[in-house]
Amino acid sequence: MLRKASYLILSVSLWLTSCSKDPVNDLSDLDSQVFITNHDKSANFKTFKTFSISDSVTVVQDNRSGTALTSLDKDVLTRIITNMQNLGYTYVAVDKKPDVGLTAARITNTYQDVSYNPYSSYWGGFYGGFYGYPSYYVYETTESYWAISMLDVKNADSTTQSTDGKRFRVIWDAQIRGGGLANQNYVDEMVDAAFRQSTYLSIK
Amino acid sequence: MKKLIIAAFLLAGLLPAFAQEQAPKLYTLPSPYDRYTHYQVTARYTGAIPAGSFSSNYIDKASFENYSIALEWVFQNSFSVGGEIGYSFFKKRLPRATYQQTDGSEISAIQTRTLTQYPIQAFVNYQFAPKNASIQPYVQLSAGASVLDYTVYYGILADQQQKVRPTYGIGVGSKFLFKKDGNFGADIRVKYQGTSYDYDYIDKGISSINGSVGLFYRWW
Repeated sequence: MLRKASYLILSVSLWLTSCSKDPVNDLSDLDSQVFITNHDKSANFKTFKTFSISDSVTVVQDNRSGTALTSLDKDVLTRIITNMQNLGYTYVAVDKKPDVGLTAARITNTYQDVSYNPYSSYWGGFYGGFYGYPSYYVYETTESYWAISMLDVKNADSTTQSTDGKRFRVIWDAQIRGGGLANQNYVDEMVDAAFRQSTYLSIK
Repeated sequence: MKKLIIAAFLLAGLLPAFAQEQAPKLYTLPSPYDRYTHYQVTARYTGAIPAGSFSSNYIDKASFENYSIALEWVFQNSFSVGGEIGYSFFKKRLPRATYQQTDGSEISAIQTRTLTQYPIQAFVNYQFAPKNASIQPYVQLSAGASVLDYTVYYGILADQQQKVRPTYGIGVGSKFLFKKDGNFGADIRVKYQGTSYDYDYIDKGISSINGSVGLFYRWW
């Protein structure tokens, strides 16, 4: 009887440990979004007046990168322009020597991982104890996010000899992670939120 | 002569009756639960209320997702010892807020705070009533360890730590037998449980007051 009770307790405990719930699967796409902003503490934003923005969005997928201009990308770029203008900056073309330059990128990284499930399939039954072949499986996680960066063009370091010309310092960057990143209905809210928590950018 | 024989038969019939009344009663021994040590298994459903700095710093919302199962060896004196394995889950969701990080960045997110705990403890009970009373109050001391899973979600991004930490508890409760000398009963217990733990929002350990109802089965 003690043996049967011990089996019962052991199987209940195993069942309890294998139950895993996801406490955040009830979050809507907008609620699941996380905005991470950072800025260079030594940058004085009040010295900047004009800005420009790249004419396409950089797309980074694992190690490959390119540019794109889908209608989603256009919406994002347009919304960034609106927000910067609301902060007091003047929009100029790229060749008109802006003080700061903005870029937007869509980054997707796919990771492959191997895991194993120690409780898989081969229960030997109540009396034989359990013998299990742990089953190994490969799973893929994809992580994607938007990255908006503000580069200091005015104080660019033009003395270094680099193949791509001047070196720009990133004085502000924002990452938008979570769900619904490709939903055009959320673009305005997403970009606004990233700027909303960066009140130090304002030059008004 | 015939009358004598009939009388003798009658007396013969009556004598065993007399003999039985004076012999000791054979079927009133004490119950096996008093005579032998016996085992008991208890399954519980618990409501847990966070207490102390755990409540003020991390999660202050009560949890009704706690279960446990215990196996106990009851002695003939008033003590019993046993082991209990449990599961408890605390969760709290905060509205969107901005959090300053140590590297200077700001994170705006909806934070979901969770704590999953599997306490595995040994306990000692002291019973105040005999084994076949219909109400048997007891006090309990327990100690062991918990497997902890501390996870804070920012949106769907998680900051997680899993650790094993010491756990202790002190409780008071009562068993209720359904039937005199029976096998089944109910059990109600109020217990203070603490786990020492220090990470992120939790700096002075996890403490909660748990009230549980359970069913037990005993056998010898």
